[in-house]
Amino acid sequence: MRDDELILYLYDELTPVERREVESRLRSDPDLASRLDALRREFVDWKNAAQPPAPGDMVQRWHDSIDRAAAGEYAATGEPRGAFSLASFAWGAAVTAALAIGIGIGAWFSNRPAAPPTAATSVAATQPALPEQQGTAFTRGLRVHFRDAQRELSSIPVEAAADRTELVMQLIQQNRLFERAAEEHGSANLARVLRAFEPILLRLASDDIAPEDAEELRKQLAFELRVMLTILERDASNKTQST
Amino acid sequence: MAAVLKAASAPTRADFHDAISRRSNCWYSVCLRLTRSRDLAEDAVQDALLTAWNKRQQFDGSARLETWIHRIVVNAALQLLRKQKPGRQEPLEIDPAGDGESPDAARFDAELGDQLSVALGHLSEMERTCFVLKHLEEWRLGEIADELGMNTGAVKQAVFRAVRKLRTHMTGLLDEAR
Repeated sequence: MRDDELILYLYDELTPVERREVESRLRSDPDLASRLDALRREFVDWKNAAQPPAPGDMVQRWHDSIDRAAAGEYAATGEPRGAFSLASFAWGAAVTAALAIGIGIGAWFSNRPAAPPTAATSVAATQPALPEQQGTAFTRGLRVHFRDAQRELSSIPVEAAADRTELVMQLIQQNRLFERAAEEHGSANLARVLRAFEPILLRLASDDIAPEDAEELRKQLAFELRVMLTILERDASNKTQST
Repeated sequence: MAAVLKAASAPTRADFHDAISRRSNCWYSVCLRLTRSRDLAEDAVQDALLTAWNKRQQFDGSARLETWIHRIVVNAALQLLRKQKPGRQEPLEIDPAGDGESPDAARFDAELGDQLSVALGHLSEMERTCFVLKHLEEWRLGEIADELGMNTGAVKQAVFRAVRKLRTHMTGLLDEAR
């Protein structure tokens, strides 16, 4: 009898007839019985093999995500929607994802170690030299994002905590998508920076930020966008002149 | 009326926190086995929790909440795996087993866990997925086939190959660990 049948026997995946046949063979064949015992011991060992526990900060992020989902849901059903629209929601996803990428690229360009994204001043201080292999399509798309974001930024609902929470939660998802994309393209530094950006977005998702703080954030976003656009457009212009 | 009762019995935020506190290690573990990536494992659990939260009205209470979430977690990990390009998974860096203060049994299990992680790295993605779902998650072969869009015979063969390879790679390691 082959091990495959013993495997199916241990997994209880044999038909009743097959099972009876195996049991009959086991009774009459001590070697087969000892092979089964050895296999069973290995199965038990594999089953008991421990995995390292999830890191504490990771577990905390999972707790936080439920809190934010609950907060966003509660606020969304408990407050009027105001001027917030699906279009601006979609824009919001684009703008912060673009912003996250922008800031990430800033850090990436400057070849910094993986540190949390910094303020616009540090982004402005970088001198981007976009690698040729990145192509112009990516930066063109990024510029479109930034320009759309600039145009729409003035209507961000800073007073509506629910809308802001929903928006940022969406942004976090977007940020993760870009992070994965960066990883898939072998841009480990960019991915790490985007990952480091997430805790900041999580704080922004908090529904206890005062409107004035949200307004400060809006201004900061506008500034960062302007800086990034300037950098990207100057870079594009330099490339055009050099060709 | 039924809808009201159902809504009233839907798990609360506290229920989710409780489930996370008690079972997230287990969810993380299966995701890590499947994806062999800490980041993907974290993402899978995160995605699953948000999915479960958004669908909590569908939780009918016939199983425990953490069991219901567990299934969603496994599906989330499988979904992330499908999105990955081949070869995307990195070999896991194995943390040192035990801290010198663990009881023997726990230390043995930890060492075994490390070795199994290494051995799982020798399997193809399909073999590993089928093995984890069959052996560790105790799915029926038919369920695995349905989930992965394969026929049962192919799943069976993948499990056989996985067991053979694991026995080969784990032989000796176990004896040393005991």
